[in-house]
Amino acid sequence: MRAWYILRSRLRSVFFRDRREDDLSEELRLHLERQTEAWIAQGIDPAEAKQRGRRQFGNIESLKEESRDARGLATWDAIVRDTRHAARRLVHDWRFSVPAVLLLGLGIGANTAIFSVINAALIRGSSLIDVTGLVEVFPNGRSGAPMLATYPAYQDIAAHTEVFASAMTASMPDAVTYRDGSGMRQGVAEFASASYMDVLGLRPSLGRWFTADEERPGAGLVTVIGHRIWTTRFGADPAAVGRTLHIEGQPVTIIGVAPEGYNATAKLGVVTDFWMPPQAFAVMRGVPRVLERNAFEAPFFVKARLRDGVTLAQARAAMDSLSRRLAVEYPKDEPGKGITVLPAGEVRIHPGIDGFLKGVASLLVGVLAIVLAIACSSLATLLLVRASARSKEVAVRLAIGATRRQIIRHLLVESLLLSLAGGAAGCTLAWWAVRGIAALDLPITMDLSVDVTVLMYALTLSVFTGLLFGLAPALKATRLDLTSAIRQDGEDGGSRRRFTLRNGLVVFQVTVSVVLLAATGVFLQAVTAARAQRVGFAVDGVAMLRTDPRSAGYADGRTAVLFDELRTRIGRLPGVDTTVLVRGVVMSPAGLPVVLEGDDTSARSTRDAGSIWVDTGFFEALDIPILFGRAIDDRDRPGAPATAVVSETMARQYFGAVNAIGRRFRIEGEDAWVTIVGVARDTGTDSRVDDLVDPTPRLFFRSFRQAGHQPTGVLARTSGDAERLLGPMQRELLAIDPQLPIAMARTMAQELDASLLLPQAVAGFLGGIGVLGLTLAGVGLYAVIAFTVARKSREIGIRMALGAGRGDVVGDVARDVAAVLGAGAATGLTLAVLVVLSMRAFSNPAPGVVFFSPSVDPLQLLAIVGFILAVGVAAAFVPARRAAKMNPLSALRHE
Amino acid sequence: VSDQTDLIQGTLDLLILRTIALEPMHGWAIAQRIQQISDESLRVQQGSLYPALHRLEHQGWITAEWGTSEANRKARFYSLTKAGRRQLEVEVSKWERLSAGVNLVLQRT
Repeated sequence: MRAWYILRSRLRSVFFRDRREDDLSEELRLHLERQTEAWIAQGIDPAEAKQRGRRQFGNIESLKEESRDARGLATWDAIVRDTRHAARRLVHDWRFSVPAVLLLGLGIGANTAIFSVINAALIRGSSLIDVTGLVEVFPNGRSGAPMLATYPAYQDIAAHTEVFASAMTASMPDAVTYRDGSGMRQGVAEFASASYMDVLGLRPSLGRWFTADEERPGAGLVTVIGHRIWTTRFGADPAAVGRTLHIEGQPVTIIGVAPEGYNATAKLGVVTDFWMPPQAFAVMRGVPRVLERNAFEAPFFVKARLRDGVTLAQARAAMDSLSRRLAVEYPKDEPGKGITVLPAGEVRIHPGIDGFLKGVASLLVGVLAIVLAIACSSLATLLLVRASARSKEVAVRLAIGATRRQIIRHLLVESLLLSLAGGAAGCTLAWWAVRGIAALDLPITMDLSVDVTVLMYALTLSVFTGLLFGLAPALKATRLDLTSAIRQDGEDGGSRRRFTLRNGLVVFQVTVSVVLLAATGVFLQAVTAARAQRVGFAVDGVAMLRTDPRSAGYADGRTAVLFDELRTRIGRLPGVDTTVLVRGVVMSPAGLPVVLEGDDTSARSTRDAGSIWVDTGFFEALDIPILFGRAIDDRDRPGAPATAVVSETMARQYFGAVNAIGRRFRIEGEDAWVTIVGVARDTGTDSRVDDLVDPTPRLFFRSFRQAGHQPTGVLARTSGDAERLLGPMQRELLAIDPQLPIAMARTMAQELDASLLLPQAVAGFLGGIGVLGLTLAGVGLYAVIAFTVARKSREIGIRMALGAGRGDVVGDVARDVAAVLGAGAATGLTLAVLVVLSMRAFSNPAPGVVFFSPSVDPLQLLAIVGFILAVGVAAAFVPARRAAKMNPLSALRHE
Repeated sequence: VSDQTDLIQGTLDLLILRTIALEPMHGWAIAQRIQQISDESLRVQQGSLYPALHRLEHQGWITAEWGTSEANRKARFYSLTKAGRRQLEVEVSKWERLSAGVNLVLQRT
């Protein structure tokens, strides 16, 4: 009951403010009236009585104030008043507040944008799935650590119906190409079981999921498309269901659309475009083995629902006995190291990956912290400068009776208001950034959004920034000596010292920015080094065109004819010197485990090598010299003994001699021996980044014709400009059959450059933050210097009156700037050099493995110093000019 | 006016609660009643009365309504809430302990 009275009283106080005030005035008026009457009744003169009443009552306004205090309105009132006052002040001082809000907006915006990536990849789950009773099952590998399952292993697990009510599987996301009109696009596919939706408790938003029959090999290919791709590529047209699509050249019927808001099995923020039955996996990879127990890789996630009343321990026991049984039945393929069962809530993606993801997250959080620190210290610098500039105002307010608490509250409200405005600006920026990323046409779609979690993060960040970095200036501003602050606005006690809190913050910002810029430099060095590497094959004048005849309905026989005609036509184009048919991405090796003849097979001694498909004329067209033996040619046809050309390094490392002609090896899991007929000089690959890590990869080249494969494209070499060949090549293709899609048309130079996109993006990202940081530091520095000049105006005036020239005054300002920047630059550069040197120490972690080794590049360091100088000059220019233009007389009279 | 006894902090609350425990009263009447009953030895300053009334209301011990007084005049009437009644008992026993203590000190020294 009392709570109700309190609540009523407080609500009235806040919401019926005016009525409460009226009540009080009325009550006091009535009281006075009665008192006056009482005195008159006692025989006092009416005029005298009135005056006495007024005297006794004292100050009605202060009485009202006291009553309000008693009602607990004081704090609320004060906060409202402070907010209004602060808002008015900030609008009035827009020259300060607009840059401050922009600075904060940039900092908080960058932070929020990065956080939205972390949120999508590492925090957000799917609210659509009920995880109670859902478990994730991971067969353990030979090391005993949980791995993924093979398809037969999944079937064995699902057969344990005494513990699992139902089980489903889905493969790791796989990149596929699909035909989109006249072109080809990259998409993300998952190969999943018919039970997928039931186990997760989901329903397609349109159409149906695949049936157990469609999961069996030989059934027609079907797909359920993602909700995202349905809206973006199919215009959310319900008629998309029933349509046929070409994925990896195979005709696939769309039978349904996944639920809205469901992205993928793996909660990585990546959006899956196609779900297909596992048998489609075998068809599209062209290898039935991917679904066998002895597959090269086990790509399947398994999730199951526990039967009612079955405990986790019972499920684990059942899986242990399954593991032992399989090890007995399939001793070659099943290690028998147990099967890990974990509640779905405890796994994000996979126990083996989750740790790595956390590592990536902490790296991103580290970057976040740096951006945040820069943004916060900029705000703190600005607020400190502002607080110092207002020390006179604060002193006056303290002198006329404001308490220290009131002033701190006022200053805090002001910085909170600033940081919240900055937060709002930041969210807008982050929202734009996220939308910008979404609008990019990337092969992988990330489901990024500024959702409630992200907004809460930005809000927390803003409040935290406002409080933390408003507090120090507020405390400092109120801890001053009243009389001296009011009397003089010349040098305050601290300004003679070079290393105040203000300067310290700027030094910190410069340091961090310099380290970031130096890191950018290292990445740029890596990119330059990667570009400068010897590729070992022809790049200039090489143009490539890929198509996908299967998606236009071509059978193998027609495909062969088509490519022969295409090659002839392109060969006749003006300027074309050589042409060769290619399969897949040129010079992009597929890693395969190989077994060498004579190796001890029982020890499972496989080695890794990269396989590249070639055709007659490949080595000539790409200028790769054959050191021993012969190149792949027309003798290597189907039916002839399997042959390969190996790279120099593969020959030396695996066969002990460069001349390895006649030696044999086989691909692990295949029976046929491959005889080496030639050794080619070492080359790099199409990935400049891979080459940086391993400049002489172990490669073997085989004839795709001999293996019974079809070509997928044509490579043409010209002595002229390869880029100008791309148009005519595409026209020749469409002239043969306008139905044929263009899967890719680029020059070799473009192909190699594309592999540098990631390090370039990282360099751009770090460099962007570094430049942003130094710019912010520059703004802070400007504020500090401008403030110092204003405070020292009297000192400057006196010195000029005593004969100091303008140059001396400007020199003074310049010395201040140089001291702060010099300290920051020196610390930053020292740190950067240390980091580079330690990276050099780690660049050779094992014999034979050489990572890129960065060097201390004087030119880069010089560029950084130059940038700092430019920032310093920009920051000091206006204040220095003001100092130099100062009229000694008016400066002295300024008091 | 200066010979009046200043009320000890907190005592005024007790007096107000006790006074309006009998019947709802308006501010002026509360001050009058306290003055009368204490034989003019306790005088309540308006400057402390109204803040005290608002404080008590804010704490939920008393509640106020506009009404008409004996002479058919408008006035704001204060009455005790249930919590106020309990609080009055607490305050009374507190006061008794205090005054007994003070008396003991005065008698034994």
